[in-house]
Amino acid sequence: MHDAAAPTLAAREAIWVYAITHSRDQAGPDGLRGIGGGQVRTLHSGPLTAVVESLDPGRFSAEGIQSRLSDPAELGEIARRHHDVVVAVAADGPTLPFRLATVYLSDDRVRSLLSLRNDEFRRKLDWLAGRTECGIKAWADPDALFTQRGTAEQPARDPGSRPADGEPPGPADQSGAAYLFRRREELAARVERQRLAARCGQEIHTALERLAVGAHLHPTQDPRSDGEEGLMVLNAAYLVESALLAEFADSAQAVAAAAGALKVDVTGPWPAYSFADGPDA
Amino acid sequence: MTRQWALAPASRERLPTHPEPSSLVDILERVLDKGIVVAGDIRIDLLDIELLTIRLRLLIASVDRAKEMGIDWWEHDPTLSSGARDLAAENRQLRERIGALEAGRTAGPGSRSRRAEPAVKPATRSRTPSQ
Repeated sequence: MHDAAAPTLAAREAIWVYAITHSRDQAGPDGLRGIGGGQVRTLHSGPLTAVVESLDPGRFSAEGIQSRLSDPAELGEIARRHHDVVVAVAADGPTLPFRLATVYLSDDRVRSLLSLRNDEFRRKLDWLAGRTECGIKAWADPDALFTQRGTAEQPARDPGSRPADGEPPGPADQSGAAYLFRRREELAARVERQRLAARCGQEIHTALERLAVGAHLHPTQDPRSDGEEGLMVLNAAYLVESALLAEFADSAQAVAAAAGALKVDVTGPWPAYSFADGPDA
Repeated sequence: MTRQWALAPASRERLPTHPEPSSLVDILERVLDKGIVVAGDIRIDLLDIELLTIRLRLLIASVDRAKEMGIDWWEHDPTLSSGARDLAAENRQLRERIGALEAGRTAGPGSRSRRAEPAVKPATRSRTPSQ
């Protein structure tokens, strides 16, 4: 691996890699602009094609890229542009998206990557052919779940979360003990609501996983980042046959409703970001 | 364990959904965290950025979520919210209660502080959401 010292870098190129596809007969991504505003182009090596952009090595040195990505506004802009290129490429066939900020120092270095890992990339592309990534996010109201099934299915909480001597303090003991007792009861109810929320998400995931070729759980997001109400109980990506995408989305809605979710968002179709590790992951 | 559930006809309702352009959060969690990871020639410390965005998100989420789950008691707890005015009120209430106890009776409704409410009735204690 090279150590990217700035002085040597200044004289070289900076090649930003977006994605890898099968080599195709038709022309590359014509007129597509990348993160640096330059023309997106293709590099070929046998059956594989890399979609890249030449960046100004002065503006996009290691330090330059790092500082751009550390600025939230620029990070957002670069992420969107990178994504737009990957989406455009994925519209034409199976595509392996690259993680943001994969940069090489020459076209040849990219071509050698293609030939070096030819088998792996082709196997992954074949696996992704005809399939697409579908995002599913679900929200639930823990209080509503608690009301619906908190006490119906089982004793309100498992024995472990509550000491055996569950007697409320007598009237003569109203200050500290009463407060502690009430706090403990509140805490137990909260734990139960959290458990129900987690299980709501798990039920949806278990059902959808069976309908998909691949499944990947993302961390749940801040509820406010999408301006949504309720608690996010599931944030997942599923790899599904493109032809069955509509059915999958319908199933997701039915499954989420059955699990007591408040709301479900179907996002995508996405390029297969979450499945770039291939079938063996 | 996951319960085996069947879709009842009544549950086949459609939940509200709005297809919209991909949100930046959705994009970020994919382009930063997913995709093929190849060591390029230029080493970018993406981990820091990732941690930064995740930490930021978690921080907001945990405060938000805590409030949503009703975990907001620290806002009223004088030892944690440490408002001088709250402390003074708490002290006054405590003195009143001590006075009442020393007089050989439990605190009456008029002098009862927030913490000295009657014990929750066993029958209802776990059902009431504590919002």
